Amino acid sequence: MAADNSDILQGTLDLMVLQTLDSMGTLHGYGIARRIEQISEDAVRLNQGTIYASLLRLHQQRWIAAEWGVSENNRKAKFYSITRAGKKQLAAEAANWERVAGVMSRMLALREEG
Amino acid sequence: MNRLSVFASRIAAVFSRRRLDQEFDQEVEAHLAMLAADNERRGMSPQDARDAARRSFGAVAQIKEEQRERRGVPQIDTLFQDLRYGFRNLLRTPTFTLIAILTLALGIGVNTTLFTTFNAIALKPLPVRDAGEVRRVERWFESGAQGDIQFAFSYPEYVYLRDHSRELTTLIAMSWPFRAFAALNQGDTEQLRGQLVSEEYFRDFGVAPVLGRTFLPEEHKTPGTNPSIVLSYPFWKRRFLADPRILGASLKLNGTTFNIVGVAPQEFTGTGEPPITPDFWAPLMMQAALVAGQNWMDQPAIQRLQILARPKPHGDIRTAEAETATLVQQIDQTLFVQTGFSPTGRVGVTSVRERTVAITLPHATYFGNTEDIRFRVFVLVLMLVVGMVLAIACANLANMLLARAASRQREIGVRLAMGAGRGRLIRQLLTESTLLALVGGAAGLLFSVWAGKLLWALIQHALQGPMGGGAPLTVSLDPDFRVFAYALAISLITGFAFGLAPALRASKLDLTSALKEEGVSFGARMSRSRLRSLLVGSQVAASMILLIAAGLLVRGLVRVPGVDPGFETHSTFWLFFDAGPDPAKGAALQRRVIERLETLPEVAHAAIAGTVPYAGTWTPPIKTLDPQAETLRTLGARVGAGYFETLGIPLERGRGFTPLEIQNATPVAVISANAARQLWPNQEPVGRRLKLDLNFRNQWKEFEVIGVARSVRSAHLSRVDPMMVYVPVDPNVPEHTVLRITGDPQNAQARVRAAMQSIDPGLMAGLALVSTADGPMQLEQVLAEAYTTFAAALAGLALLLASAGIYGVMSYLVSQRVRDIGVMMALGADAGRVLRSVLRQGLWPVLIGSAIGLAGGAAVSILLHSMLSFPGNADLLFGVNTLDPVTFLGLPCLFALIAFGASAIPVRRALKVDPMIALRYDG
Repeated sequence: MAADNSDILQGTLDLMVLQTLDSMGTLHGYGIARRIEQISEDAVRLNQGTIYASLLRLHQQRWIAAEWGVSENNRKAKFYSITRAGKKQLAAEAANWERVAGVMSRMLALREEG
Repeated sequence: MNRLSVFASRIAAVFSRRRLDQEFDQEVEAHLAMLAADNERRGMSPQDARDAARRSFGAVAQIKEEQRERRGVPQIDTLFQDLRYGFRNLLRTPTFTLIAILTLALGIGVNTTLFTTFNAIALKPLPVRDAGEVRRVERWFESGAQGDIQFAFSYPEYVYLRDHSRELTTLIAMSWPFRAFAALNQGDTEQLRGQLVSEEYFRDFGVAPVLGRTFLPEEHKTPGTNPSIVLSYPFWKRRFLADPRILGASLKLNGTTFNIVGVAPQEFTGTGEPPITPDFWAPLMMQAALVAGQNWMDQPAIQRLQILARPKPHGDIRTAEAETATLVQQIDQTLFVQTGFSPTGRVGVTSVRERTVAITLPHATYFGNTEDIRFRVFVLVLMLVVGMVLAIACANLANMLLARAASRQREIGVRLAMGAGRGRLIRQLLTESTLLALVGGAAGLLFSVWAGKLLWALIQHALQGPMGGGAPLTVSLDPDFRVFAYALAISLITGFAFGLAPALRASKLDLTSALKEEGVSFGARMSRSRLRSLLVGSQVAASMILLIAAGLLVRGLVRVPGVDPGFETHSTFWLFFDAGPDPAKGAALQRRVIERLETLPEVAHAAIAGTVPYAGTWTPPIKTLDPQAETLRTLGARVGAGYFETLGIPLERGRGFTPLEIQNATPVAVISANAARQLWPNQEPVGRRLKLDLNFRNQWKEFEVIGVARSVRSAHLSRVDPMMVYVPVDPNVPEHTVLRITGDPQNAQARVRAAMQSIDPGLMAGLALVSTADGPMQLEQVLAEAYTTFAAALAGLALLLASAGIYGVMSYLVSQRVRDIGVMMALGADAGRVLRSVLRQGLWPVLIGSAIGLAGGAAVSILLHSMLSFPGNADLLFGVNTLDPVTFLGLPCLFALIAFGASAIPVRRALKVDPMIALRYDG
């Protein structure tokens, strides 16, 4: 089913941002947003500005670090990268998701069986 | 852990708000640019690309706002915003801001000054270790005698308490200051003030000497050994110029050589009651050497020691009080049985056997009796009065703010229309008024520091002369944290008080008319002007009351210099000396002194007197022999033979007391003319009998009237003694001596001193000779002056504030009606009519307020007059009529004049304006 933008909880967005940074390395805000859109095959189409809320939260928790740099088109932009604590958090959250997903799929399989 | 770092980054963000805002702006710009570039690559035109970028980004302004909120601490941010905004606003109207700050500075400053004085007197702790725990032992006598005598104990009592008290862990004794003659090098002598203290005084109070050491208790176990003294810092600085070599030097005091073992630190200003820093402290054991002719150690009749105590930790103070009372009663009983003496309610007099019925342990402060209910009530009344002035100032400011808010209608209307919450608006307006109040409060604090110093200097100067004052009172009026806290609290409360009503009113706008800015037009909005009228009216009423009270007092004060006491005050001198512990010997000594002094040509008369004029009253109940006679109260005095001649009080009928009558304690009395008129109107008083309850115990003693003296003012300068009865003095007890001097007073005083020296040189130490006029009478005058000046100053202040308030209101009203005035004048209306109509509107509350104020003033006057019914009370109004026409007519007229003037100025200004300009006036 096509995911409705507003259904994506902010918490999950935070997780996506972390994952993106973990796999892609250092990115600026626009880059992260584009990447999320790409990976989710456009299933996730959010107002790009909303990731800044996530970035702020993650930064306040010290899970990502920020640095000023120059973007591809020679503009001053802020680049974000994941920290060690962020990696740990990512691992923990991912494990959590997998567990939940596993349980959910078992529950739903039961339903199909009927 | 994470929550902490989140919190930390939020706090940090508050401080770098602007920078972070800019950075985020840049970040967003970069993001948008990249999105637009992408869109362009997909083939959109640059304009479309940008628009599409913005759309897919989201609402930029909202995102920025949310970011700001998430990033910092929003409440602090809004507070800073409000402060900055308020600050700018206030700067935009400098006149208003300046007037407001001055008004506040005065109102808050006066309040703070009073509090500072109260703090210094009653709240400031003594400069000792754990000052909050130290208590002063206070005794209560059966006869109800009050005063310093309640803190006085004898050495045997002190020792008994020290050894037997379980509730009090430490007991320290200190004497009242006494005078000693010091023989310094170069052969001259100086009279110093010293204090005798028990051995643990310095150690227990944690006083670390700045030089040398303090007393070692081991060294002072036996009387007369180890003559050491500790100098006070100011004395060391003044006399020895802070020379450290003074340590170990010796000082001869009253003939005995003492070693200087140490110097107390500068901050140790003594332990109060009275708040004087003595020149030196000496151990109690050395008493005999320093106070000649007395031995305190085993004389229960000599009560010269104050006792300071620390209750045991976690103990109940009432238990301590009860235990101490029991102990005191025990020792007193023992001593009475052993020696026949008992402590009394009158210094040095043992004619009445007294019991100590209770002990209280108030906190030790610089002054005694500060927890006395009368003192506290007095202070409360003062603070109420001063608070009233501040309230008037607040009313003023509220009015000014109302006017100001009204002129900002459009701005407020816009903000409300744009969605600002009413709460937010109110918060912002309150922040502005609080800011004003805080600045005013700071200015007020500065003002109070200066005013307090001035006030204290005046008080000190006034109290220097009379009654053997002399040492400066060591009360420090520097603001401590208590004063700061008080000033801050008052400022905040004031800010709220005058800011709340206008804020509430201002935000309750009708949006349409606010935005159109019609101002208060023909259909003036009633509710707002009613509030304003109320404010003005109450200001006027309060000012009027203060003004009338002050006016009455000033009227009375004007009479003081011309007042004739009715007896000789410049040539009558009071001789005070220490007659020793034994009353019989003391009385004999006094008789010898009088005999000797009467031989001097300069001394015309000498007499014994039990009461000194203007130095307290004794008011025993009195009644005639008639069984249906009601019991009245009269002023009383115990006097000796020759009293009336000495003081120059003529005897209208009969005669005074003879020496034989005094000696035999014959029950005869002399009454004043007023008393005669009241007791036996139109009848011959000589030969009649009356009854007096001398000790207030319902024990009536009969007296025969042998003479009538002219009525004089001997109790208070402000009124003639309503009733006075003179009875013979007790011959077995030494009392005060009064001399009538002829010729040059300086010469005469010297001769008297010389004569006293020849009788007994030991008397010189405690000798004081002062005339009635320079002594007790001057004190009364000075106090009356001081307190009338204070009242007048306050009233003047109130008047100033009220006038400013009226002016402000009228200005505002006029400005609101300027357009109407323009219309009227354009249509040809007569200027006078316009003036009258505006004035009428503005002065109505002033009239009502004045009427209320007059009634209030009359009430105050009646109250003050009712105090006259008790004969011992002074007449605070100095005989001015209750409804003195000069005050009650003159002052309202003055006020009306000022009100009229204050109203007329803005109106006249408005009338001069060209009607065309008035019509276009935009408020």
